[in-house]
Amino acid sequence: MMDRKKILEEGLLEKYILDELSAAESQQLSSIIANDEGLKKQFEALEEDFEKMAFENAIAPPGHIKIRLQKRLGESKVIPMPKSWRYAAASLTILFVLSAFWMFNRWQNSKNDFEILQEQTISLQERLNALEEDYLLTNRRLKTINGPKTIPLILDGNNLAPNSRAVAYVNHDRRIVMVNAQGLPELPDHSTYQMWSDVDGEMIDMGLLPTDEELITLKYIDKAESLNITIEPAGGNDHPTVEKLIAYVTL
Amino acid sequence: MSHHQDDIEIIDRLSQKDKKALYLLYDKYSGALYGVILRMCRNQVLAEDLLQETFVKIWQKIDTYDASKGKFYTWAYRIAKNVTLNSLRKPDLLIQNEELRVDTTKTILEPEPDFTELNGAISRLEPHHQEAISLVYFRGYTHREAYEEMGVPLGTFKSFIRQALQLLRESYKHELLIIWLLLETF
Repeated sequence: MMDRKKILEEGLLEKYILDELSAAESQQLSSIIANDEGLKKQFEALEEDFEKMAFENAIAPPGHIKIRLQKRLGESKVIPMPKSWRYAAASLTILFVLSAFWMFNRWQNSKNDFEILQEQTISLQERLNALEEDYLLTNRRLKTINGPKTIPLILDGNNLAPNSRAVAYVNHDRRIVMVNAQGLPELPDHSTYQMWSDVDGEMIDMGLLPTDEELITLKYIDKAESLNITIEPAGGNDHPTVEKLIAYVTL
Repeated sequence: MSHHQDDIEIIDRLSQKDKKALYLLYDKYSGALYGVILRMCRNQVLAEDLLQETFVKIWQKIDTYDASKGKFYTWAYRIAKNVTLNSLRKPDLLIQNEELRVDTTKTILEPEPDFTELNGAISRLEPHHQEAISLVYFRGYTHREAYEEMGVPLGTFKSFIRQALQLLRESYKHELLIIWLLLETF
């Protein structure tokens, strides 16, 4: 049976501090101490003395032990940053955000510029294509009317259309007729110029002559003796209105 | 006892798994505990490992510490002592460590520092008082092992311990008195 007297006589307090007692003895002793103020004071004084002695005999461990301990407990990942680093980190973050924003704007502007440039390129390409087509057409026409086998014929207007002139280019080998009707006076919307070939006294339709085109290709009629221009209702006529013949030329 | 009160606050943080609290306790107590561990195992390389192990155990077992039953240092001392004695009971580990130490770090010109040397109040006691305390406190002997080591009867050994502790008590009281007088004077 453990009591105050036994505790003091057998030095159980120091054994308790030195962890020499069994678990059951320790349990018993600690509950006795808790209920005995005098014993508790003595125990506390003993603890104090042992601690003082230990501190008087302390040996500083090498610094790397603490670092090893921190690593062991996974502290290395969360070493707190010094305050100045935090400010630096914050500044860098702001700088990064600003530069990212600036870069984004630059990128957007570049994208817009690129799109405009792309549109311009497409439009230039279209214009080039149109010019090329135009050139090829003009070149083809020039070859047609400028060949040695092409006969240019002038159709001067009579008293119905004074001071007017149309030019026809006829190539019998290639069986082509082309007319420039730009020299004829403009007509109201309800009427149009039409050209006819005279074959053995019969007038055969060659096609309409709009005045707004440079060169009109018409039907080539075999054995035509003359070319004739009349004014007809819009859309053309099956038979020429001879009263409105304004020009002719013999072949 | 504000000193004790500080510890309670830190320990409270430690039981909430605040690692900074553990490092605060390390800064305060690692020297005292290392002094004990090193004198117990007398091997610097091993003592370093055991000190680390002691604080890992403190970290893991802090929930079992009951401040009403004693001071933190007393509890930590018991952990350090257990960790060290358990390690010394595994001879393989110790021999390996000894070999490692002899092979790599020590030369004949560097004699082993004498870790048995004691400082402070205990060093001013009679040699037999010194030895008795040293055996049970710094060397990890039980009372039973210690009296055999000293070659005196158990009763005699117990009285050595009691006398030594009384002398220490008086010595520290005396120190306290001087400090108190100094504080009063200035």
